[in-house]
Amino acid sequence: MMPTVAGAVPAKRNAWRPRVRRSVVTGVATIVALLVAWWLSTSVLGLVGPARFPSPEAFVAALQRIWTQGYAGGTLIEHVVQSVRLVFVGFLTAVAVGVPLGFLMGYDRRIEAFVNPVFLVLRPIPPLAWIPLAIVWFSLGDASKVFVIFVSAFVPSVINTYTGVRNVRKHLIEAALVHGASRGRVIREVYLPDASPMIFTGLRLSLQASWTTLVAAELVGAFLGLGRALQTAYRDVNTPMILVAMVAIAISGALTTILLARLEKRVIRWRAEA
Amino acid sequence: MSEIVIDKVSKIFGDGGAKPFVAIDGVDLRVEDREFISVVGPSGCGKTTLMRMVAGLETVSRGEIRVAGKPVTGPGPDRAVVFQQFALFPWKTVRENIVFGMRSRGASREERDEAVTYYLRLMKMEGTADKYPHQLSGGMQQRVAIARSYATDPGVLLMDEPFGALDAQTRTIMQEELVRVSKGNPRTVMFITHSVEEAVYLADRVVVMGRNPGHIREVIDVASTRQAERWSEEPIDDVMEKPSFTHLRGQVWRLLREQMGADV
Ligand SMILES: Nc1ncnc2c1ncn2[C@@H]1O[C@H](COP(=O)(O)OP(=O)(O)OP(=O)(O)O)[C@@H](O)[C@H]1O
Ligand SMILES: [Mg+2]
Repeated sequence: MMPTVAGAVPAKRNAWRPRVRRSVVTGVATIVALLVAWWLSTSVLGLVGPARFPSPEAFVAALQRIWTQGYAGGTLIEHVVQSVRLVFVGFLTAVAVGVPLGFLMGYDRRIEAFVNPVFLVLRPIPPLAWIPLAIVWFSLGDASKVFVIFVSAFVPSVINTYTGVRNVRKHLIEAALVHGASRGRVIREVYLPDASPMIFTGLRLSLQASWTTLVAAELVGAFLGLGRALQTAYRDVNTPMILVAMVAIAISGALTTILLARLEKRVIRWRAEA
Repeated sequence: MSEIVIDKVSKIFGDGGAKPFVAIDGVDLRVEDREFISVVGPSGCGKTTLMRMVAGLETVSRGEIRVAGKPVTGPGPDRAVVFQQFALFPWKTVRENIVFGMRSRGASREERDEAVTYYLRLMKMEGTADKYPHQLSGGMQQRVAIARSYATDPGVLLMDEPFGALDAQTRTIMQEELVRVSKGNPRTVMFITHSVEEAVYLADRVVVMGRNPGHIREVIDVASTRQAERWSEEPIDDVMEKPSFTHLRGQVWRLLREQMGADV
């Protein structure tokens, strides 16, 4: 049994544990407080009209409806699966092309000189500005969404990988060379690990961009997906359903981001925990 | 046989450009196989530049450098470098760092494990094999860097102020350790330092450089005194109080002072 009095030594050893628990408790408390405030201001006190912002009861009813009967051409699960699928396909294609390209640009000045002008022209175009062209080229199906996601996710992957590789520490490259490392080993064992924090920053930004673009593209026109549900709810002036779709987008986005953060933690184990 | 021959070497930065800068001018030096030389000189006299040229990390503007008879054209594992800022790979464990150069020459798994055990024991660092560099003190990191270079089994070891970042106490321990390691495994060593004591204590010969432009002022023999006075049988503090030591130290100091005064 641990004494509850000022036992400095055992308290110090576990110092981080109570702190983690406390931050979780604070987080949960905040959410609960917000939910209560929401409930009070809509259902109980009626401070906000139901057309502006739905009550918790209306929200749950909308959730039930889209979950069981479906809404805007599919159930909630179907919308989520469709959106997540498109984000993954677009994001992964962008990363699969963008990271190697950024790497080559950072590694070889000649490739950089060759590719940079193209970037200077394409970069100022906001990704969403590609949506009309994408629809003209690929109509309203999956291909047009994947295309705009690709365009928006591509740039952060390339730029950050490029920056990461350009800033690989020179003395570490030299340390590898004077200990006999081949070019392949220098790339695998120095360039990649030293650039990996920046590469992951790029991936995170790419993922965020993917979600933004996907929702925008689905708003403009889609047969299925969370953006389509949001758009339909807007046209029906169904505020509870708008909220359900927004929450679903937030949760899906957060889950994919967490997945990426997990991967990053696995790859960059060696880093000093700050 | 891994002797270093520096043959009328000059280094001009920005050669052919608008503002060429002569960093090294006509340096001639021969370091014998398994000889340990220290290089001292005022800041900016080109010690690092000279060493980097031997390592193949910097090109030679005039003259030629040969190691084991072959002209240096680029970096290679026959000339391992210990850098002042350690330059350990942060994403590799102590074990992986030590065997980095061994893997270049295709050392077997058993050979690598053996080397890790050997060096960690030699450096009094047992039990740290699976730690990452950021979990070690500066002195420990530099020991790992030295082990990495030794384990690569180079003919030539180049060290650029390897103890410069360490506190005085750790530094003394490291100096003794270096003597011990090099005794068990003698190499041709070029050791750059700002410490005259360190230079005299470690080296067979001390090379004193001057600047504007970088050149060799004098080469002082230490090996004969060390042997006659049996320095290597005594702890470092005792050696540094011997008259034979203080005499050599004074000699190097005066030369150095002269160089520093040259443009003050
Ligand atoms: N890449 C470079 N380009 C231009 N000048 C350089 C370069 N590297 C070094 N120099 C110059 O060459 C001279 C010698 O530098 P070097 O680093 O070899 O001196 P050092 O003797 O090692 O000095 P310190 O004792 O301070 O480490 C300096 O004047 C420095 O400014
Ligand atoms: Mg230097």
